[in-house]
Amino acid sequence: MVRHVIRKAAGWLLMIVVATNATYFLASWFLDPRSNFKELRPVRTEEQIDRALAPYNLNPQEPLLHRWWDWFTSVVFHFDWGKSPTGVSVNGEIGYRALISGELVIIATILSVVIGVTLAVYTASRQYGWADRISQAVSIAVFNIPTSVAALAVVFVAIWLNQNAGLHFLYVAGENSPGVEGLFPTIGDRLLHLILPTLSLTLMGYVGYHLTQRSLLLDTINADFVRTAQATGLTRSKAIRRHALRAALIPTATSVAFSIPAMFTGAVITETIFGWNGMGRYFIQTISKNDVHGTVATAAFAAALTAIGAILADIATVFLDPRVRVN
Amino acid sequence: MTLTTLAATPAPTDATPVLSVRDLRITFPSEAGPVEAVRGVDFDLLPGRTLGIVGESGSGKSATAMAVMGLLPPSAELRGQVLLGGRDLIGLGDKELSALRGSSIGMVFQDPLSALTPIFSVGRLLSDALRVHQDLTKRAAWEQAVELLDLVGIPDPRGRAKSFPHEFSGGMRQRVVIAMAIANKPSVLVADEPTTALDVTVQAQILDVLRLAQQETGAGLVLITHDLGVVAGHADDIAVMYAGRFVERADVDELFRRPTMPYTARLLAAVPTVDSGVHRPLVPIGGEPPALVDLPGGCPFASRCAVAQDACRADEPALREITGHGHVACLRADEIADGTLDPAGDTGPDDGPGGSGPEATGEVVLRVEDLVKTFPVTKGALLKRRVGTLHAVNRVSFELRAGETLGLVGESGSGKTTTLLEVLRLKRPEGGRIEVAGTDIGTVDSAARVRELRQDVQIVMQDPLGALNPRLPVFQLLAEPLQAIGRDRESIRSRVHELLALVGLDASVSGRFPAALSGGQRQRVGIARALATEPKLLALDEPLSALDVSVQAGVINLLARLKRELGLAYLVVAHDLAVVRYISDRIAVMYLGHIVETGDTESIFSDPRHPYTRALLSAIPVPDPQRERARERVVLQGEQPSATQPPAGCVFVDRCPLYRLADEEVRGRCRTERPEPTAVAGRPGHQYACHAV
Amino acid sequence: MATDVTTDASSGATPDPAARVTAPGGKKNAPDLGLGRLYLRRFLRNRLAVVGVVIFVLLVLFSAFGSLFTSYAYSDADFAALTQPPSAAHWFGTNQGGNDVYASAVHGLQRSLAIAVSVSVLTVVVAAVIGSSAAYFGGRVEKATLAVIHFLLVVPSFLILALVSHRLAGDWRVLIVVLTVFGWMSTARVIWSVSTSLRERDYVTAAEFMGISAPRIILRHIIPNLGSLLIVNLTLGVVATVLSETALSFLGFGVQTPDVSLGTMLADGAGTITSAPWLFAFPAGLVVLLTVSMTFVGDGLRDALDPTSVTGAAGGRR
Repeated sequence: MVRHVIRKAAGWLLMIVVATNATYFLASWFLDPRSNFKELRPVRTEEQIDRALAPYNLNPQEPLLHRWWDWFTSVVFHFDWGKSPTGVSVNGEIGYRALISGELVIIATILSVVIGVTLAVYTASRQYGWADRISQAVSIAVFNIPTSVAALAVVFVAIWLNQNAGLHFLYVAGENSPGVEGLFPTIGDRLLHLILPTLSLTLMGYVGYHLTQRSLLLDTINADFVRTAQATGLTRSKAIRRHALRAALIPTATSVAFSIPAMFTGAVITETIFGWNGMGRYFIQTISKNDVHGTVATAAFAAALTAIGAILADIATVFLDPRVRVN
Repeated sequence: MTLTTLAATPAPTDATPVLSVRDLRITFPSEAGPVEAVRGVDFDLLPGRTLGIVGESGSGKSATAMAVMGLLPPSAELRGQVLLGGRDLIGLGDKELSALRGSSIGMVFQDPLSALTPIFSVGRLLSDALRVHQDLTKRAAWEQAVELLDLVGIPDPRGRAKSFPHEFSGGMRQRVVIAMAIANKPSVLVADEPTTALDVTVQAQILDVLRLAQQETGAGLVLITHDLGVVAGHADDIAVMYAGRFVERADVDELFRRPTMPYTARLLAAVPTVDSGVHRPLVPIGGEPPALVDLPGGCPFASRCAVAQDACRADEPALREITGHGHVACLRADEIADGTLDPAGDTGPDDGPGGSGPEATGEVVLRVEDLVKTFPVTKGALLKRRVGTLHAVNRVSFELRAGETLGLVGESGSGKTTTLLEVLRLKRPEGGRIEVAGTDIGTVDSAARVRELRQDVQIVMQDPLGALNPRLPVFQLLAEPLQAIGRDRESIRSRVHELLALVGLDASVSGRFPAALSGGQRQRVGIARALATEPKLLALDEPLSALDVSVQAGVINLLARLKRELGLAYLVVAHDLAVVRYISDRIAVMYLGHIVETGDTESIFSDPRHPYTRALLSAIPVPDPQRERARERVVLQGEQPSATQPPAGCVFVDRCPLYRLADEEVRGRCRTERPEPTAVAGRPGHQYACHAV
Repeated sequence: MATDVTTDASSGATPDPAARVTAPGGKKNAPDLGLGRLYLRRFLRNRLAVVGVVIFVLLVLFSAFGSLFTSYAYSDADFAALTQPPSAAHWFGTNQGGNDVYASAVHGLQRSLAIAVSVSVLTVVVAAVIGSSAAYFGGRVEKATLAVIHFLLVVPSFLILALVSHRLAGDWRVLIVVLTVFGWMSTARVIWSVSTSLRERDYVTAAEFMGISAPRIILRHIIPNLGSLLIVNLTLGVVATVLSETALSFLGFGVQTPDVSLGTMLADGAGTITSAPWLFAFPAGLVVLLTVSMTFVGDGLRDALDPTSVTGAAGGRR
C-alpha cells in the first residue's frame, strides 16, 4: 500500500515538473517584459532595455532554450525561482504568500468535500423529500452564481452583520490586522481573517461535490448488490449506508485532484475581492507586469497543490477500497 | 458427482404452505400508461417442494419474485396477498419486511457478477448476512461463513473467504449468493433465473448446489426461469406464465406429458432439445406476446393461438381445474385434455426442417489450418509489463463448404468466438492459415482486395438490439453495407426491398427504428443486413441466445431456408448444443482453445467420444421430466481453467472424469502429451483428441 | 488512476432500472408516439425546464431588440449624469463615465451570449470529435489524448487562459478561440468515457465487419448515439462559459474596454458595491438569469432524453 502511494506520488512529481516547464515556455512566449519599459520616460533604446533585463535572465536576445536551462538549473540546484523584471526575488515574494494561499485552498477544499458529501448522502437517501429539494435548489443557484458575485455577496452580508449585529470579527479586507503582537493573538487574528474568504471559497466548492456525489449515490442505490444486501435482511437505508455509500465515495475521492485547479481559480478571485496578498493576487500582478518567473512560480504552486490533493485522494481511495490494498 | 435421483418425495398432504400468494397484482407506471405486469397470480408453496415458474421475458415472473421479497421499486403498485407463515407481507413497512428477508425468505439473483458488493470480501458479506438476524460475535459469524462456503462447494473455504467478489468466477459467485440466501435457514427460497448467466456445465453444478441448499434448509423453493429444461428436472410443480398471469399450473409430469394450455404446448414444440432421437421439426409460435398496457379483453394468447374461437376473444378465461391436468386458463382445455383437440392446430412447420443432411459437397468456402491466437497478459497501470500469454486459440483447423453449416461449440473462454473473429478480421493470422473462397488472406495486401473479400464474409450477431444502431432506421441499416461497396442509390433501394422480402419482413418496416421492432424482427433485419452483399460465408455469433423460445424457432427455420436457397455456408458459434443440433451439419467442440472433438452432428450426438463432449451433452437439461431424471448425468468438477497457463498435456486433464479412472501409464500421457485427433472407425470425419477413451 | 471515476460511474448508469423489473409495454408503445414527440412531452412536463426556456428566449430577445427602447448607445457618455441611480431617463442608472447602464447591459448581454453560445458549440464539436476518436481508435492514440487531457485538466487551465488572453484578448472573437482551445478537455473526457462503452457495442463491430471506414463509423455510429450527452453538455457549456468569461473579465483578462460584456460590468461595479449598487446589481442579475435558465433547460433535456442516467453530464460541469 505504501508502495502504491509512493508510485502515485512519483507520477505526480513528474506532472509538476512537466507542467511547470511547459508554463515557462508559454509565459516566455506570451509575456513581454520589454513592454514594461515602453511607457517609461525618457524613452529607452532596445539595447538599453535588453541590458536592463539581462541580469534577471530575461534578455530576449538570449535564445529561449538557453534562458530556460539557466532558470531550470537554478530552480533544481538552488531552489531559486528567479527575479522579476524589476529585480525583485521571486522566492522572497512567494514564501509567505504560498503559506496563506495554501491554507485557504486546503481548508476550503476539505470543508467543501465534507459539506458537499454529507449533504449528498443526507439528501440522496431522502430523494425528492423537502430537504433534498431545497438543498438541490440552493446548490443549483449557487452553482450558477459567478464566484465574484458570490464573494461580493458575502462581503455585503458581513458588512451588514458588522454594522447591525455589532460583530467585529468578520474582516472583509486583508489577511491580518496591523499591530497585533504575540504568538496567540497573531494566530487568532489570522484565523478571524480567514473566515470570510474560506466561507466564500467553500460556498463555490461544495456545490460540485453535492451535485455529483448525489447523482453517483443515486446510481449506486439502484445497483444489484444493494438489492442483495436488502435481501439478506438489511433495511433500505442500512443497505445504502453500508453497501452503496462506500462504493459511491470512491469516484469522488479520485475527483478531488481534478477540482483543485478550479479551487485555485476561485482563490484568485476571492483574494482579489478580500484584498489578500496571496498567490492568487500575485499571479494577476505578475501577469500584468509581464513577470515570467513569478508567473511560472505560481503555476508550480498550483500544480503542487493539485498533487497534494491527488495524493490525499489516493490515500483516501486506499482506505475506502480494500481491493487496492490487496493488489 | 453423478445424480440420478430427484427429491420428488411427495409432500405430506396436511403440510401447511410456507408461502401463499393470493390474487397478486402489480402495476408499474410508464409513459404509455400503467403497465399491468402481474394480473392476478395465486399459488401455495409447501415446505421442501419446488415450484417452477416458467415464462418468456416480460411475462411478469421476475416481478412476482420481487413482490414476494418486498423488493419492488416504490413506484410499483401492489395488490393481493403474500402470506408468509400466515402473515400478509403486502402493506408491511421496510422495517418489518427486513426482519423477514434473509431470515424467512432468501433470494438468489440472476446475475452473480453484479449481485455482490465489490468492496467487501465474501467472508465479510456472509458474516454480515448472518449477523443481521443472529446475535453472533464477529469470530463466530466468520466461522459459520466459512462453513457455508464449504457447504456450497467453494474449495479452500477458509482461504477464499478473504477474497473479494471480483476474484471469483461467475459460477463461484453464484455459490456465494446461494450461501448468503440460505445463511439463516429461511423457509422460503426464491431463485430468479439463477443459472441464465452461466455456462451449461456450471449451470448443472449450481442447480445441484441449489438442491443441496434446499435439502439443507427444508425450504420451499420458487424457481423462476425461461428454460423449460431446468424446471423439468428440478421442479415438483410448474406454473406457466403468460402476459402477467398463470395460464397453466400442474404437476411436473402432467404438464410435460400433456400440456393443456395451447401456449404451453406450442412452447414445448418450439424448444430445441438435445436428446430427441429423430430430427423433430420445430414449430414456431407466430406473433409476439402482447404489451401489458391497456390489454384488450379476451385471452391474451388468442391472437397467436391456432385453436382460438370467437369466445376466446370476448372474455379472458379464468384458471380452472381440469381433472388430471392441474389448472388451465383455456376455454377449450377439456377438449385438449381428453385428446380430441390438438392445441397446435394444423399449423405445420412454415419452413422445412433444419439440417439438410451431409450431402453438402460444394466448393470449400473457408479453410482454417493450425490457427493460433494469443493475447498478452499485462500488469501495472503506468508501465504495462507483460506477465503472461493467454492462448486463446491453439492450432485450430477446420474447413467449411458451400451449403454446409459448421457449429463451433464450447463454453465461454473456449476460444470459439475468438476463432470466429479471427476469420472475420481478414488479416494475416498470428499463426496458421485462413483461406476464404480459395484466397489465402495472409497473401492479400491491397485494401481493395480486402474489401472484395469482405463482401464474401458477413456476420450476424448475438444481440439483435445491440447490433443495430438505434439512431438509424431499417432502410439505412440495410443500405450501409451496400454504400460501403459503392452501390448507387437506385440499386440500393431495390436491393433493400429484395432483402426485406427475403427474410420475411414487410416493406413497411423500412422506415422504422430498431426500438420499434420486436426481437424476432430485429434479428431478421440483422440477417438481412448480413446478406446485403451476397456473401458466401455467414458467421453467426450465438444467433439465437438473445431470443425468446417462441421466436427462436422461426429464426432457425429462416436460416435453414436461406441456406438452401442461397447456397450459403454458415459458421455458427454457440454455447447451446440443443440449438446447434438444429442448424448444423457438422460440429466442432472446443475447450480451452483446442478442438477436442469434431464430426457430423448426428454422429456427435449419438456417439460422443471425448469426455468433455459427453459432459457438455449431459449437462443440458431436457424439457421432459422422465428422461431428465432417468438419464445418466456427468457433472464436471470445477471450472474451465484460465488459458494463461494451459496444461502441458491434455487441456482437459484437470476436470476429466476419465483421467481419474485411468491407469498410471495413460495418466502420464494425459499430463505430458497433447492428444492428437483420432478418427472414429466407420464414421468419416468424426475425430476426437483423447488418450483415455 | 483518474480513469476509474468515469468507468465506475458510467457502468452504474447503464442497467435500465425499468427494464430490470420486467416492465414491457413501455418500449412497445413509446415509438408509436414518435421519438421527437415523446421527448417533447417529457420535456414539457418539467416545469422548471419550461421556465428556463422562457427566460432564455426573453434574454435573447432583450439582447437583440433591447437597444430599440433607449436613445443611448453603450459607448455614449452622458456627462450630465455621472453615477446616477436608475431614473426615467436612464432605466438602469449610469456609471462613473456617464454610460447608460441599460444600453451597456443590452450590449454586454449580447457579447456574453455570443461568446457563450459559440464557445459552447465549438467546445462540444471539438470535444465530440476528439473524445470519440480517442475512444474508437484506442491504443496509443487514446493514451496520448488522455495524457494531454489529464495534463490540461491538472494544470489550472484558467492560469494558461489568463496568460494567453492577457496578450491576445480584448477582441471578443479571440476570446472565443482561447476559451475553446482551453475549455474542451473536461467535456472531451466525459465523451471519451461514454464512447469507450459505445466502441464495444455490437453495431460498431458489425460496421467494422461490413468494411465501413473509421471516420464514417465515428460520425454515423458513435457521435449520434452520444446525442443526449452532447445536447446536455451544450447547455451546460453555455453556463460554464458565462462563468469563465465573467471570471476572466472580472480580473481584467477578458473583454477589454471600450467593449463591454457582463463580466466587465461586474468588475466595474464591484468597486462601488456600497455606493452605487445598481452598477453591480443589473449585470449580476442578468448573469444569474442566464446561467440558471440554461441549467434548468439542461436538466430538463437530460431527464427528457435520457431518463436512466443521473450522472451523465455531471462530470462535465466546470
